[in-house]
Amino acid sequence: MITLKQTIISWLFLIILTFSSVYIGQVIETPEYLIALVLLIVFLKGQQVTDVFMELRTAPKMWRLLLLGYVFIIPAVICVIYLL
Amino acid sequence: MSLESTLMSHSPLSISVPELLEVKIIDKLANKRLPGDLAMWFFILAELTVFAIFFIGFAIAEQLHSDMFIVSKAKLHPIAGLINTIALITSSLFIALSVRAIHLNQVKRSINLLVISQVIACVYLVVKIWEYQFLFNIGIDIETNTFFTLYFLITFFHFMHVLLGMVILLIIGINAKKGAYQEDISGFESGASYWHMVDMLWIILFPLIYVI
Repeated sequence: MITLKQTIISWLFLIILTFSSVYIGQVIETPEYLIALVLLIVFLKGQQVTDVFMELRTAPKMWRLLLLGYVFIIPAVICVIYLL
Repeated sequence: MSLESTLMSHSPLSISVPELLEVKIIDKLANKRLPGDLAMWFFILAELTVFAIFFIGFAIAEQLHSDMFIVSKAKLHPIAGLINTIALITSSLFIALSVRAIHLNQVKRSINLLVISQVIACVYLVVKIWEYQFLFNIGIDIETNTFFTLYFLITFFHFMHVLLGMVILLIIGINAKKGAYQEDISGFESGASYWHMVDMLWIILFPLIYVI
């Protein structure tokens, strides 16, 4: 079972990442950097939800990899589409 | 058999290294548990796939009509998107805490946390309805242009998932009150996992529509 401390830290991390992505959207004007950074943040947030909130860190590897694969591959595909 | 109990039942000299390794592996596998029902996880995968098509479709449409998307995105309120992101993440936190409480057999605490989570989820509903109302008032609807067709389609589809998640969690809360999760909590975990999926989808949706 994920500890209370881990859950709260994960939530704080998600909130900080959310504000960071909005801040990045305001200050970075180069589209390539903006897209790459914001989508990197999406992956980091998805990883937190998968591992901590969904408790897949302690689940069978296949399910964890499926969900982590989703939050990595979808932003990566979107990134490639935007940068093409 | 756990590693600890094996070690207790053997003297240090009688246990061999391969035996020790085998017990270690069994112990590790026993701890690898998928929370909730397997059927719910297949349902979650199906839902994620449908949304993946939407996300990729949105990105391709943006590349094809970039000027239209820039002008249209400027009409949205990023603060509304930000409030909704914080609401869903915080609601997910309380669901995670609620699952933790039910694991510890603290049913009343678990129900209270679940209720808090749903009150916070209502913030999302109110903000989203306000956002739709605001757009309708300035003459924007689903037929305005490609951006708004996709915007309404994807966000309303997500909105319906939030509503479905809330109904599932309401049923879980009622069942918890009736004492249905005293022994088997997989139903509770399934509902919680669905809710986290809804949160995860918004985490991708928010930057796609409001930030990039």
